[in-house]
Amino acid sequence: MTLPLRTSAFAAMLSATVLSPVMADEIRTINLVTRPQAAQPAEFQFTQLIAQEWRRLGLDVNVEVMPWEQMIQAIWFSRDDWDTTAWQMVGRPERSDPDEIVYNLFHSTTAEQGFNFIGYNNPEYDALVEQQRVTLDPDERREIVRAAQAMLAEDQPNMMLAHPQSTYAFNTSVWNPDTVVDQSGIGIRNTWSYLQMEPLGDVTDIILNSSDNVTAINPLYISGGTDSWITELVYDRLMRIGPDGLPQPWAAESYEWIDDTTIRVTLREGMTWHDGMPVTPEDVAFSFEAAGSGEAPMYGPFVGSIADITIDGMDITFSLTEPSAPFLTASLSKINLIPMHIWEPVIAEQLTLDTNAESFQEEVPIGSGPYRFGSWTLNEEVVLEANAEHWAAPKADRWILRIVPNVEAALGMLRSGEINFLSDFPGDPTVVVAAADEDPNLTAVSTVDIGFRYVAFNHRRPPFNDPAFRRALSASVDRRLIVGAAFRGFAVPSNSVVSPALGFWHNEATVEGMEAGIELAQQMLEDAGYMVVDGRLHYPEGVSETLGE
Amino acid sequence: MKAITVIGARLLQTAFVLLAVITILFFMFRLMPGSPLAAYIDPNFTPEQQAELMARFGLDQPLWRQYLIYLGNLLQGDLGESFFYRQPVAERVLALLPNTLILTFSSLILAYVFGVLAGAYLAWKRGSVVEQICVPLVLTTRAMPEFWLGMLLLAVFSFGMGWFPAGGTRPPGAEYDSLWALYSSADFWWHMTLPVMTLAIYSQGLPLLLMRSNMMDVMREDFVTMARIKGLSTFSVVIRHAARNALLPVMTSFAIAVGYQIQGNVVVETVFSWPGLGRELVRAVSTADYPLAQGAFLMIAVVVILMNLVADLLYAALDPRVTHE
Repeated sequence: MTLPLRTSAFAAMLSATVLSPVMADEIRTINLVTRPQAAQPAEFQFTQLIAQEWRRLGLDVNVEVMPWEQMIQAIWFSRDDWDTTAWQMVGRPERSDPDEIVYNLFHSTTAEQGFNFIGYNNPEYDALVEQQRVTLDPDERREIVRAAQAMLAEDQPNMMLAHPQSTYAFNTSVWNPDTVVDQSGIGIRNTWSYLQMEPLGDVTDIILNSSDNVTAINPLYISGGTDSWITELVYDRLMRIGPDGLPQPWAAESYEWIDDTTIRVTLREGMTWHDGMPVTPEDVAFSFEAAGSGEAPMYGPFVGSIADITIDGMDITFSLTEPSAPFLTASLSKINLIPMHIWEPVIAEQLTLDTNAESFQEEVPIGSGPYRFGSWTLNEEVVLEANAEHWAAPKADRWILRIVPNVEAALGMLRSGEINFLSDFPGDPTVVVAAADEDPNLTAVSTVDIGFRYVAFNHRRPPFNDPAFRRALSASVDRRLIVGAAFRGFAVPSNSVVSPALGFWHNEATVEGMEAGIELAQQMLEDAGYMVVDGRLHYPEGVSETLGE
Repeated sequence: MKAITVIGARLLQTAFVLLAVITILFFMFRLMPGSPLAAYIDPNFTPEQQAELMARFGLDQPLWRQYLIYLGNLLQGDLGESFFYRQPVAERVLALLPNTLILTFSSLILAYVFGVLAGAYLAWKRGSVVEQICVPLVLTTRAMPEFWLGMLLLAVFSFGMGWFPAGGTRPPGAEYDSLWALYSSADFWWHMTLPVMTLAIYSQGLPLLLMRSNMMDVMREDFVTMARIKGLSTFSVVIRHAARNALLPVMTSFAIAVGYQIQGNVVVETVFSWPGLGRELVRAVSTADYPLAQGAFLMIAVVVILMNLVADLLYAALDPRVTHE
């Protein structure tokens, strides 16, 4: 094993004596992990492209393909054992506040267990993102968030690639196109559309599709993307993320910061649960307590900053443990309001059992939202009915979700009228756009996503602990090539974890100032002391390979 | 008297096969790569929460104890709780099983009735132009992958002609008071047409070809010649004498086909968005949901084993020459 290494090192020494008298080690074979082509065609494609460019830098790159279940084991739960991997963050309404991404993904405290699985550790960056969290003035906070993005662009902890566009479509002969809402960073598949879409003719039901089964309809369980479409409609929240991506009062009439750690929320008058009981401030306080009770582990983190809740008339006052700028988005827009008369006994019972509230499925889920639960046929369909008594009553009569695992069939169903809103299409978006071009009754809408795709570097393992090395690897690939070849144009190039869809927070300079090219990357490596010998990249002087076989 | 002991032994044998299936299923899923940890434990969880969940799933116990617990629960009719859905497996599996069974048996009965009649006819027409056209045709249908055939039928009869819906068991938002009300509704049969046709076209080849070759053997036998000499009508000779005798191996193949068909259902249920056990099974396997995958496989195994038992026992009733003595 050592013999070939030595000979090549010796040969290298002869050829490079003038430049560098001391020879450093050759960089080991680098693994790049991706999910299979069948499951993630774009990801598979861009890893191949990236591996190809890296090889041109003199790296030996081994692309390793594994399904998600295995990947999470090999990467997330084995944090010391991988080199580089394709990864993604998906867009969710609560990620409209940059905190979850700029803080959780890179703060050093989340490196051991949390989202910072790459092990990025930069005290200066930690300080910045801690500061944005407690800065309540939006403009001031914006400058900090932009500075954090600039720091990431400099450090290149990840190789950011693209923000994909989500493409959905609907039937314009059924729904008035002017009433379909394109939510920033989310697309037309959103609660606002389902509330405002106005029927033009006899069909008054929104019939949409999902390729995933519905797992649960439970306000205390984050059970899946599709499930959240339902809970967002059946349950109200104090605030909701508006079409512009910013939180706005919903079940709250208004809110007011009393001081840095106290916020008073006034509940809207006259709200009722779907079973006819009135919605009280006690219900609201209970909803937050239930989320923090330990019986709803997934919601726990969203109420962690609440120290105390007090009620006075229709006012609910939250005292926080420390100032929290993301509180409106991450807590008030996130926690489902649930009726105390139903859930209090459930929580009490669950406290005595070894299961938790996630296992409890109501026969008829009761919320106070703009749609009420109608029926649920296992793996086939969920029907919601418009709640005419709601202050934001939907224009449609029913909301019918069909489970269609066959993606091609879903598009066919949209054309034939079996569904009138294509809300899920995991396949090639160009197919949807082509279908819409062909059929005057169909409109496809593509929206830049909050989520993003990237290649993560493991900072625990050299040479990825060297920012210069990461910068060079990142610069070796032109993002426009990735967008064109892997995403077929349905994405925008990215160099920041804060999507351009979040216009207020996004630092456009990070992307605009980005330069790429193989010569540039080679130059960057050379400047940092790396050298290519016999076609293989070697560490800078004095650095030895500690992880080779 | 003897028949009863034979049947008893056969039942005992069935129970043994079932136990073997249960055991293999249990260990098979646990030896697969990937872990339920990855699929169900949110990375945001604290180590205590992760440990708690592991304990709840029973995954903190040694494998042999997990197996004994599983067997014990099974004896009480408890299939466990799905990791993914956090709900009892038995409930889900029993809710989906009828959809799969009705699809399987409808298509198989259609395939076997057609296959037997057409097979007998083709044997009768041995050497004719009809045979020269039909046999390659049947072989072609046997060679078509089910998902491809399903997509083809969808493209032509649903998206092209608009005659049939593209998926599901009912029109959007339609409600039925009971399973029976659903199954007896015209809408259900309308929705079921394409998936049943797909499965039936795919599976008619086996009974057809089997029947044809059996018939050709039987037709050469003395009793058929005898029947002809007696001057019986063609119908009587082919159907009442020859076909009855050629039918027996086809009967056995029916029992085996039930197993194969459920396998085929996995694909057809996905193509036609049919809420059956097959789709659930794929999902459970891909997400390492052991209890659900085991439960679904077990249901299918039970159906297959029962069908084989029934076929065995019926054999004696159909053919007096076969006895259990």
